[in-house]
Parts: sequence; C-alpha cells; structure tokens
Amino acid sequence: MVEKKRYKLNRLETTRLIGPLVDRHWAELREAKERGEKVAWCSGPLFIFPYAMGMKCHFMAGYAAYCAGRKAGDQVLEAAEADGELMDTCSYHRLHTGMAAAILRGHPVKKEVILPIPDLLIIGRLCTEMAHYAEALHRRLGIPVVAVDFPPPRRKEDLPRLERFVVRQIKENLIPTLEKVCGKEFDEEGLRRILRVLKEAATIRNQCWEFFKLKPTPWTLWDYGVSIAPVFYMMGKPETVPYYKALLCELKERAEKKIPAILPDGEKYRLYWDGWLPWAFLGMFIRKFVSYGAVPICGRYPWEFFPHPEYIDPDADDVVQNWVELYYTKAQQAAVFMPEGALEEVTKLVEEYSIDGLVMFASRTCRAWNVGQQEIINEVERRLGVPGVVIEADMVDSRMVSEAQIETRLQALFETIDARRRRE
Amino acid sequence: MRRSSARRAMTAVAGVDVGSIFTKVVIIDAESRDIISFSIMRSGASHENASRSAAENALKAAGMSFDDLAYVVSTGYGRSRVPFADRQITEITCHARAAKFFFPDAHTIIDIGGQDSKVIRIDDDGKVVNFVMNDRCAAGTGRFLEVMAAALEVDLEKLSELARKAKRHVEVSSVCAVFAESEVISLIASGHEKTDIAAAIFRAIARRITGMVGQLGIQERVVMTGGVAKNEGVVRALEERLKVEIAVPEEPQIAGALGAALFAAESL
Amino acid sequence: MRAVENPYRTVYEWKERTGKKVVGCYPMWLPEELVHAAGLLPVVVWRSDEPVTVGHAYVQTFNCGLTRSFVDDAVRGKLNFIDGFVIYRTCLQAQELPFILERHVRPAYLEYLYLPAIFPGNATKDFLIEELERFKASLEKFAGREISDDDLRRSIEIYNENRRLLRRFYEFRRENPGILRAREVMAVVWSSMLVPKEEHSSWLRELLSELEGRHEELLKERRVKGDLKVVLTGALCQTPQFEILDMIEDLGMVVVDDDLYVGYKYFANDVELDGRRPLEALADRYLRRKPTCPTKGDWEMNWTDEVVDMVKRNDADGVISLLIKFCPPHLCYYPDIKRGLVQAGIPEVMIEVEHEIVSLEGVRTRLQSFAEALRRGA
Repeated sequence: MVEKKRYKLNRLETTRLIGPLVDRHWAELREAKERGEKVAWCSGPLFIFPYAMGMKCHFMAGYAAYCAGRKAGDQVLEAAEADGELMDTCSYHRLHTGMAAAILRGHPVKKEVILPIPDLLIIGRLCTEMAHYAEALHRRLGIPVVAVDFPPPRRKEDLPRLERFVVRQIKENLIPTLEKVCGKEFDEEGLRRILRVLKEAATIRNQCWEFFKLKPTPWTLWDYGVSIAPVFYMMGKPETVPYYKALLCELKERAEKKIPAILPDGEKYRLYWDGWLPWAFLGMFIRKFVSYGAVPICGRYPWEFFPHPEYIDPDADDVVQNWVELYYTKAQQAAVFMPEGALEEVTKLVEEYSIDGLVMFASRTCRAWNVGQQEIINEVERRLGVPGVVIEADMVDSRMVSEAQIETRLQALFETIDARRRRE
Repeated sequence: MRRSSARRAMTAVAGVDVGSIFTKVVIIDAESRDIISFSIMRSGASHENASRSAAENALKAAGMSFDDLAYVVSTGYGRSRVPFADRQITEITCHARAAKFFFPDAHTIIDIGGQDSKVIRIDDDGKVVNFVMNDRCAAGTGRFLEVMAAALEVDLEKLSELARKAKRHVEVSSVCAVFAESEVISLIASGHEKTDIAAAIFRAIARRITGMVGQLGIQERVVMTGGVAKNEGVVRALEERLKVEIAVPEEPQIAGALGAALFAAESL
Repeated sequence: MRAVENPYRTVYEWKERTGKKVVGCYPMWLPEELVHAAGLLPVVVWRSDEPVTVGHAYVQTFNCGLTRSFVDDAVRGKLNFIDGFVIYRTCLQAQELPFILERHVRPAYLEYLYLPAIFPGNATKDFLIEELERFKASLEKFAGREISDDDLRRSIEIYNENRRLLRRFYEFRRENPGILRAREVMAVVWSSMLVPKEEHSSWLRELLSELEGRHEELLKERRVKGDLKVVLTGALCQTPQFEILDMIEDLGMVVVDDDLYVGYKYFANDVELDGRRPLEALADRYLRRKPTCPTKGDWEMNWTDEVVDMVKRNDADGVISLLIKFCPPHLCYYPDIKRGLVQAGIPEVMIEVEHEIVSLEGVRTRLQSFAEALRRGA
C-alpha cells in the first residue's frame, strides 16, 4: 500500500514584508485627493509617466488584487451587476464600474476599496478591454481620458513600426496631457530616477528567478506573484530594492541549506501557469497544488515585467524611446499578448525551468489569451512531451469558480504526468 | 368565445398558466373578479393534456363545464399549446396584473418559479415598464432549492425552518446550481451545520435575485409571486438583502393564472 | 435570399465564375476597396448556422459566435477554398485568429492589420495610412500586379455606388414599413458582403426600381402586418438568427430601421474622394466617428444619442437591442444605452443572441412581453 504523502507549503518569510508596502501604496492612493495630489487611473504599460510627474497612480489589475486581498471583490462585482453590468464582461471592467456604481448610486461596498475619482484616465490599449472600462467610466463619471494604442505584435517584422507609433503617441498626446493636468513641464529627470531604481530592482529580481531552476525549488510562483508590485505599480520607490535584496538573501539561504518550498523534500510536479494570476483564489489554488505535491513555477504574464533590465537605460538620450523599446524591439514584452509570442515564450520557459505540466488558466470573462491556449498545449506536447490542461475560473469573480471542476482537471494532469514518468 | 350559460347569472372566465412543472387554472367571476375556484397540477409531458385536466379539475370544483367559460386566456411556458384558449399573453404581463390586483400599490414584482425567475417593474397604472428574466440557468429558481434540499437530504418544506435556526455565517458563493451543489456537499463534509447551510442557500438565491432587481431599481411596494414565494426562508433572505418589506399574496403560485383570468374578464 | 442560404456555395460559385481569388475580410471596417482594386474578390467573413463541434477544442465556449464558428470552419477544412484572409484587431478574439488560420488553414495569403483605435492626434492617422500602404503592397505581391491610384479610385466608386443603393434601399424601407420582411432586408445587405459589388449593385438597382415602381400596390398587400414600429440596434460583426427577426414580426412589430453591422453600419459612409489620394480617402472613412462603433476606441462616442435619433426619425414605438453573447465591445457599452433610453422614455428590450440557440421560447416570451407592454399592457 502506498501511503499518500502529506505535503506542506513552506512560504517565504520575506513575502510578509510586501504587505505593509502594498497597504501603504493603496493608503496613499485613497488619501491623495485630501492631500491635493493628482491621481491617474492607468492601464497598460504607461503609468511610469504619471509617476514621473508625481501623480498617484492606480493600476487596473492591481485593483483586482487589492479587492481580493480585502475580500471585497464579490461585493464590488455585485454592485456592478446591480447597476446593469452584464456578467460576461471582464471582471476587471466590472470591478471598476462596480466601484463607480457604489460612488454614484450608493451600493454598499467596503469603504477601503472605494478610491478617489481620478483626475485622468490613461488608456494603454495593450488589451482592448482597457479602452472599454475607461470609456464606461468617462461616460458615467465624466473623467477626462487620454489614450495610447499599444498593439501587441504578431511578428518580429512588425516591431519597429509599432514601436514608432507608440513612442509618437506618448510624446504627442500623453506627455502634453500630463503637463496640462499637472500644470508643469514633463519631469524627464523623474522618469530617469524611476528607471534607475527599476533597473536595479529588476536585475536583483532576475537573480531571484534563477532559483526557480533548482530542484527542488525554494520558492513558488505565488511567492513571486505577490512580489511583482515592486517592478510594477510600485516601480521607482526606494523600498523596492531592499525588498528584492531581502528576497534574494532568503533564497540563497534556502538554496544553501537545501530548504524546499514544498515540505518535506520538495515538489513532485513543476508547473507552468498561463494567463492572469487568480488574485482572489491564490489560497485555494496553492492549497490544491500543494495537496498533490505540485508547485507553480513560472508563467508568461508574471514574466512580462521587465525580464531584460539590461536594456533599461536611464541615461538614454530619449528615455521615452528606451521605455517603449522594452515592449517592442529590445525586450519584446508586448509579444506574449499574442498567441504567436506566447507559444515561443511558453516553450522557452518550459525548457528553462524544467516544467512537467502546463496549467492554462482561462478566465471565463477574459478572452485575451484563450484562443491560443489549446494550440499551445498541443504544440508543447508535440515538441517537448509535456502535457497540459485548461482550467476555467476567474481572477476575482467567485461565482465563476467551481472547485470540483478544477480538482478534476488538475488530477487528470497529474495522472498524465505520472503515466509518462512510468513509461520513461 | 363560448356562450355564457343561460342558467347562470354571472359570467365566468378562466386563466390557464402552463409552467414547465406545474399547470395552474383559475376561474373568476368576470364582473366581481372573485375567485370561484382554482387548480394546480403537474404539467407532465403534454401541455395540452395538462391544461385540459387542470381546467376540468377547476371546473368540477366550481360545478361548471367548459361551456360556462366565456373567455379563456393562457399564459406561461406552454401558453401556445392550450387548444381552448382564446388568447395568449406572457406570464410577465399576467404576473404584473395579478400583483396589482392583490396590492394596488405594487411597483416591483419578483416572480420565482420552478425553472425561471423574473423581476418586473410596473408604473402607477400597472403597466409593465421594464423587466429582467432569468430563464437559462437554475440559479435563483425553485429548481435550485430542490437541488440544494436534496443535497442536504431535507424536505424542501423544512428548509425555511432549518434556516431560522442558523447560528454561523457560511457562504455558498456559486452562481451555478451544479457548482453550488458540490459546494453544499463539501460544506456538509467539513462538518458545517445544516441550519447554517440552509440559511446560506437562501442567501445565495437572494443574491441572484438582487442582481436582477438592481438592474431595474426597487420601487415599493415589492410583491413576490410564484411558487417559491411560499418558502418563507426565501422571502426573509430577500427582505434582508433588499432592505424592504415584501408582500406575498395568499396563493402566490396562481398569480400568473389569475392575471390571465383578469385579462380574460377585460376581453369580454 | 438564395445567396445567403449557403454563403460557402455562393462565394465558391462566384470564385468559379469570375476566376478571381477570394479574400476573406474579417468584420467590420476593413477597406475592402483595396482588395477589390487588386483584382481580387473580397468577401466578409460570416457566421455559419451550424453548431460548433470540433472548434471547441481550439476555442472556448465563452467566445462569441463568429469567433467560434470561424474557428470551427477553419479546423474542419471548410474554409480551404478561400485563397486569403485579412484580419485586424477588431477585438481581443479577432487578434488571436491568425494563429489558428496559420496552423489549420494555411491560406496562400494571410494578412493581419494593426488598424488603430480612433484616438485624437496625428500619430493615429499617419500610422493608419502607413498600415494601408503596407496592406496595399502585400496585396500587390499576392495579386501579382500593381494597384494604381486610378484602380483604387475605380474600386472606391464601385463600392460607393453599392453603398448609395443600399442607403436608398433603407430609405425605401423607412418610408414604406411592412413591405419588406426584416430577414429579406438583412439578406440584401448580407449578400452584398458575399458577391462582387458590381453584380450586387446591378441587381439591387433593378430591385429598387421594381419596389419603387410598385410601392403603392405593395403597401396595400403589406406583407408584414403589425401595429407597432420598432428599430433594431447592436449585433456587431455577425448576423443574428433570422428566426429572431421573424419572431419580432410575428408578434406584430414592424422593423423600420437598424444600426446593425449587417445593416446600416456596413454602408453608412461613403469614401469621399474629393480629389485626394484615394488611400487617404479610405483612411478617412475608417476614422469617421459616426456611426458609432464601440470597437473603435472613441471614448467620446455617444451611441445612445444615435439610437434615440433613429427612434425619433422613424417615429418608432420602441427599441430592440440585439446583444451578441460574449461580445465585450457591445456588452461594456450596453448598460449606458439602457440607462439612456430609460431616461429618454423610450421602451426597450434586450435580446441576447447566441450562436447555438438555447431557448427560442425565452426569446419569444421577452419579445411578446415587450409588445404587450407597448400596446399598454394588453
């Protein structure tokens, strides 16, 4: 008789440090108007610009993680529905329109997830939904909008001209608008300062990534997932570098002492996670994974955040150009949003991190990644012999999640991996 | 049109509500609008047979025959398969009519049936101005309650009583009856009290309905019709969520048929 | 009507008859004139009537009907007779389609355009023209011939003529409600998307003179008898099921106007040549902000006002919103339209249109309740 092994998650200590940092970010955002500060709600890769101008900035996906953390996600979504929003729309869209509904019509929602109405909505149309939510908020709350079309590239030969297009829009539309709203000239030095910190933070973060290659791994994708903020919506803040330094320190220690992320002696299955991170269900998913001895290791979305800090040049003559190059010609960060770029990235990650199986998260209200997902599974299976499964859930909306269904599919994946191992 | 019987001084009309699970027939006096008799029967496989049988039952109880009916209006899912109907009107319009009949100040009607649920807004004159219908999934319908009661291994009628004794707050969060069923099962497995789970089930239905109500906005008085309104737990959960008093007629299940009968009377 | 019964056969037959190569253009705003000027036969990609089967292995059930139908057709080999495809970033779902086509259809020509959102500023217009130049060059390569400005002007004029005729056709319907069935009107517009424009125009010209010539007689024998006048709004990219249109009419509501894609949106604006470079004129048509299209990213657009205007212009009793399920551009806008119509005191009902019709009964109940309410509660 084979005894079922009991696995236990061994969370990192350092990730506890992120909580207060994140709380402070949101507190600052909530209090911004009282302090007479300008606020922008931003989507896509553009919030470095309002940050450079000293604006407080809210980021679309960050709000989902925040609501999830405050256990207010469902409440805000219900407010949206009560206001007439259709359930099939993107959860991020409904979170924001739900917040607007709470403001406009007094639907009951936890106070701390109500953010002050911003001075500006900045659309970075990397995902077309980012335009829709801003349009809706503009219609309902009258907030001014500035937008940059940020098309994800299908082929390498498209990169240069898309890059030119985005740079031009930023210079001709975004920056003049920011200058007008903030009543001062664009702070290029502010931009460079942020880039300097970001470069250093991302470089250290990349060293942390190396530890995912270890078997057993000392940390999980979830540990990293909650640590993205410092290279994302907290970019440029001085505390971001010490955070990653502490993270690196703990990882080095674990590696030396051979302490794994999954006790007692490491993971049985190393997984790739596709799509967004399921912010409101991180706990549920990690519990399920760990119960099988599985650990999520990498994913194209969390790997999108400045994987090549060597290209960040805070002293470049044209810093706007330098920033956009990260998304296009130099680091191709925008490419993973198209199935072509995704296939390439997934294949790379699977090999680099010795992945055993793919978990393709398809959010039922998001259509950004899903058309290519099954194809990617098929292709990776063909090329690398690694199986995959699609899981339907959502980033935030618990009504779209069935634990039983997820359990069944995960189990099927692990059984497939086991079967292959027996054959080898 | 059937000739009214020379033997009787009053004119009788009928409303036939053919639902997917139950068929309801109401016979009223066309002038006084008093209910003479009514009948509720399972619809079964044939709507024609069900409507005829239910009508026969109601007529028998009233001591009448088909010839005594001056006008018949059908409504409900199977409204087009009532061979003796003179006219068919949707259940939305009929429930609205009945609600206003029972409560002249009705403005918002919540109808939860076996397989669907609707929220209807009417103006001061009782005219339907807006409505929201959920007929594609079991959440927020009688079916949901049935499935949950089965999962709890409790009689449907006992659910409200159970819920009243709830002590701890537990959540059934799924929007889908299939998902919710497995949620309930795992709640039982983790040792939660049936009383608490029952209360959570009612809250889940209320949440679903609230979403629909919100789309139209609440205007009092709020009235509930449909079979599920007999379930006190649902009414209470809705009142708590919506923060309004909900009026329920004595026989909410026949509201559709009564509304149809009232239209029949007006058609004479 | 015949042309739309089996779009595959229709397009195939025109391909045989003209000897031209067929290029499928993804809805909604691709400048087909460029394809036409290259001597190719542009057709607009359509939603089939068959339920999706194999396709669900490659696309989720929560993608819109057109996406799923197109993927299903692609993987089943039903599109192999089409020589080329042009897709652009209409929405999130469209941008993922070239990946599937490349792997399952392997067309001789596959082009993906980055038609930009309509944001203010010169960058947008310049980029659009750059894209169109590139598109032109890739078409020339595929067609093996140059597209001169004169070629393009000619094609534009042919397209404008078709649009003018369609506009006249819609005006005829507005002035003579009830002569034409809604499905017939939709078939007239849809067929224009499937057959060469020149042929369609000559056929439509004949139809119009017959209709206009006989309109008094036709009014007497009105085919759609109804006491209520309604307008339809929504349905981006794809046709709703004709059964729904029939049902509307069966319940006594006469469709007098619409702003659907397979409808008014398709022929709304001409390309204004005005002595300009024809490519620029094409770009300008794309950049026009009316009629509103939520896929274009224009945050100042006001769809609600346009719907209200449509109601007033036609003295309609109410609005039927045809909401294609899983179409975010429409879904995200819809609550504001609903609110606006309620505020303007215009009755409206929303019908969700699915690719696989789950419940026609539910649609009938909603439409019938709406009609009953319009008639003042029966």
